Amino acid sequence: MSYYFTILSPTDVPLFNIAFGTSKSGGDGIARFRFPDTAQYMNQFIIHSSLDMVEEAQWMNGNMYLKHIDTYPPASAYISAFLTPSGARFLLLHQPPHAAGPNANAGGGGGGGGIGGSSSILGGSFAAGSSAARASASSIAANPTSPQTEEAVRQFMAEVYENYVKTVMNPFYRQGMEIRSAVFRSRVTAAGRKWL
Amino acid sequence: MTSPGDAAPVKPPPSFSPGVPRGASKTRYPNQRRDSSPSLDADLAESRVASPTPPLSATTSELPIRSASPRTPSFRSSTPQLARSSLGSPVDGRFEGSEEIRSLIIRSFSPVVGVYASADTDELVRQKGFAGGFWQLIRPFGETIPGKLVIRDSVGASRSWEDYGVRFVDLGNNNQSPPESSGGRSSPLAHAEEVLEKQLGSLDDPLGGSLYPKDFLGLPSTSPLYKLYLRQLLSIASATPHETFRHPVACVIAISSRNTAPLETLRRLYADTNNGDKRVPDWIHPEYLRYYVLVHDEDRDDITDSTKLYDQMKRHFGLHCHLLRLRSNQCVVTDDDSVQVPECEWLSPSERLYGRTEPLVDLDTGGLPHVFESDVMAIKAFVRELVAQSVVPYMENRVAVWNDQVASRRRGISGRFMSMSRRWAGFGSGSRSSLTSGGASGNYDTAHGYYKSDAPEAVLRKMADFAFMLRDWKLSASTYELLRSDYANDKAWKYHAGAYEMSAVSMLLSPSSMGTKVKIDAIDQMLETASYSYLTRCSDAPNTLRCLTLAMELLKSRGGSAVESAAKWAMRVMDQGLAGSIGQGLFSERISACYAARNAVPGMKWGSRRRKAGMWSVFAADLWLRLGKPSLASAALEEAERLYADVLQGDGAFSMPEMQTFIDNLRHAVKVEYLEARGLDTRDETATAAALGTEETSEQLDRRKNRKSLVVNPLDSGLSPTQGMRDNDNAADDDFERA
Amino acid sequence: MAQPPPRHATMLSLSNSNSNSNSHSNLSSTTTISTPQTQTHLPTPSQSSTGLRVPSNRKTIYDRHLNRSRNAELSRASFAFLFGEMVTYAQRRVTGIQDLERRLNEQGYPLGLRLLDLLFYRTVTGSSSSSALSSSSSTSASPPNRPLRILPLLHLIHGPLWRLLFTRPADALEHSVSPDTPNEYMITDNDPLVNTYISVPKEMSMLNCAAFVAGIIEGVCDGCGFEAKVTAHNQPTEMWPSRTIFLLRFGESVMEREKVLERAGVK
Repeated sequence: MSYYFTILSPTDVPLFNIAFGTSKSGGDGIARFRFPDTAQYMNQFIIHSSLDMVEEAQWMNGNMYLKHIDTYPPASAYISAFLTPSGARFLLLHQPPHAAGPNANAGGGGGGGGIGGSSSILGGSFAAGSSAARASASSIAANPTSPQTEEAVRQFMAEVYENYVKTVMNPFYRQGMEIRSAVFRSRVTAAGRKWL
Repeated sequence: MTSPGDAAPVKPPPSFSPGVPRGASKTRYPNQRRDSSPSLDADLAESRVASPTPPLSATTSELPIRSASPRTPSFRSSTPQLARSSLGSPVDGRFEGSEEIRSLIIRSFSPVVGVYASADTDELVRQKGFAGGFWQLIRPFGETIPGKLVIRDSVGASRSWEDYGVRFVDLGNNNQSPPESSGGRSSPLAHAEEVLEKQLGSLDDPLGGSLYPKDFLGLPSTSPLYKLYLRQLLSIASATPHETFRHPVACVIAISSRNTAPLETLRRLYADTNNGDKRVPDWIHPEYLRYYVLVHDEDRDDITDSTKLYDQMKRHFGLHCHLLRLRSNQCVVTDDDSVQVPECEWLSPSERLYGRTEPLVDLDTGGLPHVFESDVMAIKAFVRELVAQSVVPYMENRVAVWNDQVASRRRGISGRFMSMSRRWAGFGSGSRSSLTSGGASGNYDTAHGYYKSDAPEAVLRKMADFAFMLRDWKLSASTYELLRSDYANDKAWKYHAGAYEMSAVSMLLSPSSMGTKVKIDAIDQMLETASYSYLTRCSDAPNTLRCLTLAMELLKSRGGSAVESAAKWAMRVMDQGLAGSIGQGLFSERISACYAARNAVPGMKWGSRRRKAGMWSVFAADLWLRLGKPSLASAALEEAERLYADVLQGDGAFSMPEMQTFIDNLRHAVKVEYLEARGLDTRDETATAAALGTEETSEQLDRRKNRKSLVVNPLDSGLSPTQGMRDNDNAADDDFERA
Repeated sequence: MAQPPPRHATMLSLSNSNSNSNSHSNLSSTTTISTPQTQTHLPTPSQSSTGLRVPSNRKTIYDRHLNRSRNAELSRASFAFLFGEMVTYAQRRVTGIQDLERRLNEQGYPLGLRLLDLLFYRTVTGSSSSSALSSSSSTSASPPNRPLRILPLLHLIHGPLWRLLFTRPADALEHSVSPDTPNEYMITDNDPLVNTYISVPKEMSMLNCAAFVAGIIEGVCDGCGFEAKVTAHNQPTEMWPSRTIFLLRFGESVMEREKVLERAGVK
């Protein structure tokens, strides 16, 4: 599993983001997304597009943890959301590992001209065999929609929330400011290691 | 900067705008193209009257430079097609929407009528300039039956349709399309892709007109390119065992007044279709309607003789006869009453590629032959009579009979018991085949992979298909449902897939009982099964693609939460690599359109899928760019801007930096390629760079604000100074934090 | 007098990091700390290696438990002193009473936003037990719902928020009876703590320093996504000379959403 975690302000401004991989079952905690490294914007696109779902769920469901709310099937990216009462959104994109692993870069390498560093939008996802990805998604324990995953994500979110509240309580922090504290980052990393 | 719009808008050639669905306006295009400006204005004026557009937007659409529409107030719109004016194509775009796609899909499942003409008839028609003979002459007229057509469904309720049609296919040998079996990349999907490539080649020259006609409200319509693709996809199918849509429902047997032994010829032709060399294969039901036509030559022969002969025919062959009076002289454009033959809407990809009906060859005739108006009237009357009085009643009757004899027996308790016992005890009709394991009925010929046409499974399928073509989707849905388990038991996977596919499509088309979440889930399940059987079990990519595309379009037209499903299936298409490279681009745009079709909860911000729609438009732009189609990419980008406009605030920049960078790069690349394609690169380099430069800086605005800035309309004016002050505070804090 | 027992202003404990840090070392606890922690080892980010002070006990705000000062009480005198200073500060260069109230409101607003998060955090973790001092939040208690409709929001303000600030609920919650102003609600406090030690000069009789509290309420409403304008008004009675009414006026969009949610059956 690879994770991309973002905190967005109520006005969709990113306050914090971090990418990390699983530390469970021998994972080394490094994110390996299916997009080539040059296409990290894909995570942001997917997260951004899931705000459509968040906005809808926000007013239908009063829970803070909204669970798994969106999926981006071409890359089997799953989005879970957590809403703080003051309207910040915690969004976690999780993606099961690519069965084909390193060849995720193959699709993006030779893309057509012009766009610097953005050669592939779909290369990593569509080109490489997706059937293999589906197989792995259903077989391993890290199935993104299983109750265990939901629970783990909930724990993770709760722990981040605690640290977020501490950040917000800081009188030098104003709502809508980017969170730059290295301690906060390390806390989120630790929470990720602990639960995901 | 030289605006791209300085070039005069070029109208797409008529072949590209086949979309005006019904009505007789098709003949309008050639005239328009020849003297474009006056008729264009006329068209505009007409549209202004026709559409409820407020005068403002009508006038803006007239301007050669595309002014920002009021819906996209401050998006930094800077795609190169500043002037891709909506004047480009005044047609195609007013009647669009899901209704049109729906109608397209429904019309694609039209009954097939064979045409088998005697040699003298074909000779007569060839004289008129139709090398393909009688079939070629009447073919375009079958696609739209003039006037309303009333069809009764299985419970006796009548409904009238204005867009009914039949498809004429040639049973004679003389029109076998030659390259059908030519090897190499003969996959129909590859053909379809090739057609698109060709179409783009003729249109995507840099000075070309708009590929994306917007309607006069500035809202995009379904791209004609996509419609072409869809039509292709739905025209691919040829007659196969597993579905009967392409099996003849009727056959027109034609002789002319020149024939010296008319009745004998008719009998011979009939015998040919019955047991001669025109006999249908084992898996096509041999009983179908025969319709006898006497073509009278108005220019050379005596009508009294023909009338006499016609009476004789009626005595011999019954009511299914028609006397068609045609002139045998060739008609030229300059003749007073000349009318251009409409173009065929439903050409299979290979026909489009290699066919005779090359639309762009001759500018004077538009590539299509002309006939006398009287001929057109006669043919239309003939087709209408054929369909309304013979074909449709025949089909209604068959459905009723089969429903009574086969289906109801299966539906009832005893039928279920029968099939159960048959399954468990091997009792009953399972004698014909050697393989009866696993509860198979034994009617399925596993060696050749088909049911014989008289097996109950085949008859039921035919009945369901008839009901489907008669647009009685309720009956067809229930019948397909009946069949699904039978096919599964026989492991007749293609049949199985087809039954699931059509069962889902029928349910989606059926006007009643829709919208509930449960239903959508059930349909999703069916589609899942169908696509699995098609693709994994049968490796049948064209049918999988057709199935999923139909599903997507119909789910999309359902609106509401069904569009999510629609988008999901479209993604599946892309994921499984079913569509070629152009297809991928088109499907990306389609996914965007699916999401865009989802409306927000009235008065509220939520409920729409604008971000998703925008994202897929951006992806489409990226795909087009990589295919070297900057104008398509530009259009897609523009569409993305329109979609994103609602969700981005203020300056229209994305708050996520990498997204913004990507979009900026994409925009730049599109612009550069677009200009290069026009050969303007050197001159505009600096201007481009400058434009981009300003863009990039403006994006760095400090957009951090506290929540107060969310408040859209302050309750009273006292709020605004407050806000300013708070923002100032923020700025100070930011500095502190950075230090 | 029938005064309730002196209310201890837990108020400042709401920004406990604030109060605590003040007692320790002034700024250090609030600036960004980059030193590796005892619990979690950082891969030492390079950009933050200079200019940041670490508290002497090496504890950052992230090491403090948010519930620690939950039941702690603060000296009323020090609060009165502090608030007095805030009013004085706000009064500088103001153009009039309205301006002064606006400034007080602005001081309260960010507090409201913060309180919201703290309030929810404490209801999640507080109810489990006070032993939950480990860094992980407890899993047993199901978190409260975010208010989606106006009424739950008002109850949240009237009850939990008031209790958090003043250790007692507010005294009344009313809805405007006028059909012209269905968007107006009133929360009454018979004796606002903030006004206890404030005596307003005659020429400023319109002033109500509880505008600060109104700002807090506004922050809470806004944070929850309910655009609102909140003002404080004097409504003295015989028994409660400093009785204050907080008038909440919700925005158009909120009222419209109410209708939609009503139809959708959202509570």
